[in-house]
Amino acid sequence: MIFARSWIVIGAAIPLLAASVLISIGLAPAATPERAAPLATDGPAAARPWIRYGGWPNRDTSKFNSLSTMVSPPPPKAPRTITTPLAGDPIAGQKLVADRTRGGSCIACHVMGPAGGADLPGNVGPDLSEIGTAGRDDEWLFNYIYDARVYNPATVMPPWGTHGLLSDSEIGDIVAFLKTLTRPAPFKSELDDPSRRPIPREQRDNLDPMINPAVWAVEERAPALWKSPGPGGAACVSCHAAPEQAFKTWAAAMPRWEPRLGKVLGVEEFVARHAKATTGHDWLMESEENIALSTYLRYLANGALINVDGESAPAKATYERGEALSTRKIGALNFSCADCHSGDKGAQKWIRGQWLGELRGQLDHFPTWRTSQQSIWDIRKRFQWCQVAIWADDLPPDASEYGDLELYLAAQNAGQKLSVPGIRH
Amino acid sequence: MTNKPRIKVPDQIRKGEIIQIKTLVAHDMENGLRRDQAGKVIPRKIINRFTCSFNGKPVFACDLEPALAANPYFVFSVRVDESGLFNFTWTDDDGT
Repeated sequence: MIFARSWIVIGAAIPLLAASVLISIGLAPAATPERAAPLATDGPAAARPWIRYGGWPNRDTSKFNSLSTMVSPPPPKAPRTITTPLAGDPIAGQKLVADRTRGGSCIACHVMGPAGGADLPGNVGPDLSEIGTAGRDDEWLFNYIYDARVYNPATVMPPWGTHGLLSDSEIGDIVAFLKTLTRPAPFKSELDDPSRRPIPREQRDNLDPMINPAVWAVEERAPALWKSPGPGGAACVSCHAAPEQAFKTWAAAMPRWEPRLGKVLGVEEFVARHAKATTGHDWLMESEENIALSTYLRYLANGALINVDGESAPAKATYERGEALSTRKIGALNFSCADCHSGDKGAQKWIRGQWLGELRGQLDHFPTWRTSQQSIWDIRKRFQWCQVAIWADDLPPDASEYGDLELYLAAQNAGQKLSVPGIRH
Repeated sequence: MTNKPRIKVPDQIRKGEIIQIKTLVAHDMENGLRRDQAGKVIPRKIINRFTCSFNGKPVFACDLEPALAANPYFVFSVRVDESGLFNFTWTDDDGT
């Protein structure tokens, strides 16, 4: 049984008049050098071997690029020559364009009229409802599906043939189906038309504990952990008695280059390594304790503007590495971050029923409650899911590649106000 | 139970006013139909009853069923004629 009580008082509300005068005298300490926070620098900050979260797809994508390895097969140098007409089956092709067992299906990015048979088509790629009247021959259609890079090196289309996702005969079936598409798509509703589908806007009050369960971690779990002594008897509170004051802006300048580790340190990895060095707690990244404290530290900086160091020499090098990683094509579907989230490619468009946002606006609310997952996700877990979703291998959350990427992302979000924990679907 | 229940009631009201009370409690509401990774049924554990009384008199109560989602949230209205104390109880399957 859980009990709760609440007093209520009848009476006219009395306006409270209060006047206060605050005088503060600031004495700058005479050139105190900033003391580097202790960090446990040896060993990883996350579980090893890293095992993908339960319930996530476990397909083998090791023969494709990841953020740490480059192993994908190269694009073909020339189109395959097709001399005799392809004898594909348009009925089988119609099934294949909506088949989501090999990536998101063609419908995820292309409108294909009612024939595609799937709701909520996307618009990352062009509308193919009339491709059958476009005068394209079998060879061109076949090669565009097999590996569109032979015609357009900058394409975001997955290389279905080169990466072995579709066989030659399946591509032939899809070509046969495409040739049957000759009329503009009629849409059943506004929702079905990606050019008219309303753009999702998050309007829930993310800081209301009645709405966002992640706030509970900030209000209850994190303050309890703050006081919980480690094996040596020390707790966070032993050194940081007034975290609300001390960490008003701290998290807004994270992640940052950390010379002692030779990589970029985010809030989550900092919590793991600093807690280990000072209290002895093993609060590895992605543990419940780590997520609660990392959410809390970013929450304390709410209202502060994201302002990471991208100017010092190592930070600049990091930024450049992050930028390069954000354009690296990875996974069986061969997408880079930029393919979906940069304005000149897929951003501000629909992939299936999901709206692709730009990089700016993707960090201010992390860690965030995810109603679809009923849990708090930090930015590293979000990175990991992006990769698994495009059929690429994820990395451990403390991987230096994620640090580079997080710094680059934070720089794209400079000046945005932190509002943590967020709430998203 | 790590999280305390959350309740929203106005601080001060006029006599006879009808007020809205919102309550939220953190609970898994395990419905007893799901299986764990080993295929074993996870036993049912839900809050099966919620009550609210004002100065000892019941004002709202309900039974909860397994189909309810996690973290039950209630909003109800009460007319208040006197100052006093609201008591809320959430009863779990195992009495905790």
